[in-house]
Amino acid sequence: MLARSLTRVPTRAIARQSLGKSTRASSTAAGAESASSPFYLTLTASLATAAAAGSTLWYYHLYGKEAFAMTPAEEGLHPTAYPWVHERFNKTFDHAALRRGFQVYREVCASCHSLTRVPWRSFVGVMHTVDEMKAMAEEHEYDTEPNDEGEIEKRPGKLSDYIPHPTRTMKLPEPPTAGRHGGCNYVFSLLTGYPDEAPAGASVAEGMNFNPYFPGTGIAMGRVLFDGVVEYEDGTPATTSQMAKDVVEFLNWAAEPEMDDRKKMGVKAVALLTGLFAISVWVKRYKWAPIKTRKIVSASVG
Amino acid sequence: MGFADFFSDVMSTLTYAEAQAEAPAEAEAPQEETPVKSEETEESTDDSESAEETPAEDSEEASEEGEAEAEEEEEEEEEEEEEEPEDIKPKLEEECANSSQCAPYKHHFDECIERVTRQEEDESYNGPKEDCVEEFFHLTHCATACAAPKLWRELK
Repeated sequence: MLARSLTRVPTRAIARQSLGKSTRASSTAAGAESASSPFYLTLTASLATAAAAGSTLWYYHLYGKEAFAMTPAEEGLHPTAYPWVHERFNKTFDHAALRRGFQVYREVCASCHSLTRVPWRSFVGVMHTVDEMKAMAEEHEYDTEPNDEGEIEKRPGKLSDYIPHPTRTMKLPEPPTAGRHGGCNYVFSLLTGYPDEAPAGASVAEGMNFNPYFPGTGIAMGRVLFDGVVEYEDGTPATTSQMAKDVVEFLNWAAEPEMDDRKKMGVKAVALLTGLFAISVWVKRYKWAPIKTRKIVSASVG
Repeated sequence: MGFADFFSDVMSTLTYAEAQAEAPAEAEAPQEETPVKSEETEESTDDSESAEETPAEDSEEASEEGEAEAEEEEEEEEEEEEEEPEDIKPKLEEECANSSQCAPYKHHFDECIERVTRQEEDESYNGPKEDCVEEFFHLTHCATACAAPKLWRELK
């Protein structure tokens, strides 16, 4: 270290000198021959630039504009962005809303849409108590293991069982965040977006319903959420949009039950990493203190 | 809101919070009371119904009382039905659609509706078939986007 800082000044000076020399040499050499060539050089550079610009424009002319073969109706109306609180990075699910949403799912959606990947136990401590969930699971019958005669009997459900298939199964666009693009906004818009009547001239196939948010605007599922179709146990007015909001948040929980913990872990990571960074800065200052405060004196001898 | 909440959230994350899977003890008392009440009312309805069904056996006064009770209950039920919540979303969106913000879209939509209904009613019309889906999309998008924050303020 000491040797390098001592030798720095002379080497720099040498470098500057040699650079100056070499540039002077090249410019004088070029100056002798260049009298006849600047025009061609300029022309070549100009042509190259023109060719580059031209090829870029040609590419844009050929491929630049993307072709949209779909009409807006086929594409479907893009959902409006709603200010979901649980989607903020420092917010959790509203667990009262989850509880209401599960009630909406059970009373409205569950007759057609399955939720078979979710066991009863996963609700415990999230939106229901152990006893509530045990009672809910016991309302359903499950197959037992074959008994000594090889017969399968029925038993009441346990917490470890999964929510049973509805009699009429359809594939839910759930989990909403992983499903169609638009996530929560899409499902909320779809559920609340059935207009009173289709706009003039719109063709709605028989047995289909008009919904602007569904691609093609014709959807087999009719409107299911009407004001007061569910009676909330916490007294919240069960309007269409309130139920839709709750059930969408619930479906988001079903898709990402780890979200609350994930965000908590994120803040933990931030706390740890900022702490470690602060320590590393102090340690660096401590370790470098003797080097930074050192004074180097060069004295010529003799 | 927002920034200040962030620090309180960080604090609550770093401190140890006890997760309760069991219902808190305080909430149990009112929960126990409510089913008792409902049972009482059920019993009273059963009484009144039985009184109505067999008026010959009981005295006239008893049956009248039973009817009076039944009428009262009917009234209560009607009141409950009247209290059915009304969604604010269509109202907010209509206000937004009629606001100056969405006026151009509203103008095009109304014009389209008028044009298309005229074409549909006119039997001699042979031109291309038109619909107002696109105009409807633009108007709906404008109205819902305008109503979204207002709606979220109203919802729980």
